[in-house]
Amino acid sequence: MAKFSLQPTPFLGGFQKDYGTVIIKEITDRAITSLALPLGFEAKAEKAIKTVLKLNLPEVGMSTQSKDGTTALLRLGKDQLFCLKNGENDGYTAHKALADKFGDNIYTTDQSDVWVSLTLSGPDSLRALERVCPIDLHPDRFGVGALARTAMEHLGTIIHRNSVAEYTLMSASSSAGSFLHAIKTSIDNVL
Amino acid sequence: MIIKHPLLGPRDAAEFVYLGDASMIDRPNPNAPDAKEQFYEYGYLRDNPAGEHKELWYHEQGDRSWLVVTRNTITHEVKYVQLARDVARAKGRDR
Repeated sequence: MAKFSLQPTPFLGGFQKDYGTVIIKEITDRAITSLALPLGFEAKAEKAIKTVLKLNLPEVGMSTQSKDGTTALLRLGKDQLFCLKNGENDGYTAHKALADKFGDNIYTTDQSDVWVSLTLSGPDSLRALERVCPIDLHPDRFGVGALARTAMEHLGTIIHRNSVAEYTLMSASSSAGSFLHAIKTSIDNVL
Repeated sequence: MIIKHPLLGPRDAAEFVYLGDASMIDRPNPNAPDAKEQFYEYGYLRDNPAGEHKELWYHEQGDRSWLVVTRNTITHEVKYVQLARDVARAKGRDR
């Protein structure tokens, strides 16, 4: 019988393009776990996050991360968060480690294969997003650490501001190619 | 139309799905003696005001929250927006 050896590949093949003042890059080494705070037991869940991740629960629409940058917590809604493990390729193992530590205090789901993630960096990254993103990204309204779940070209998107001139965009991996096309078109329109 | 989400700030109405009259929060007690009439009213009868109207909107392309939007049906002015869970809890519901 034939022996198969399967190798995981990134959704966009590790896409990267330098436009001069904007660089798009696919993030290929990040595990994503969704955390849901059980209704009525939010205080217990918040305590578990502090104990397990050593991070405070951010406000809705904000994020926080560990000092070494390996763990980030994105608060998408009142009772929903994403825990990002940077540098982790194996979403299954990353999720299991968190689920074991959180126990019944938090509901967890492995989301690593669900999202394609792109970083947009460079001095023109804000301009590049202006036409495709319906959120006001002015630094006074959307500072470093802010995030929003919205839609770009009808595709559901999470946008997260990592630094003054760098954003992460996350969209469904099943439409990764269409999403990249939408972002590239937006860049072509302004540069 | 812009809906000012209580947690997330101003968002385009295109991110939301409209459900209908916010009176759907007030589900009748199935054990009430006139439960049949109450459920008939709950299921089928709606006010259709020309003016202020409380509506349920779902933030599907956002944080997946349910909102109660108080909107003027003539001018489309959104007067205020509340989280549906807060509205339900204020009415004595536990969730």
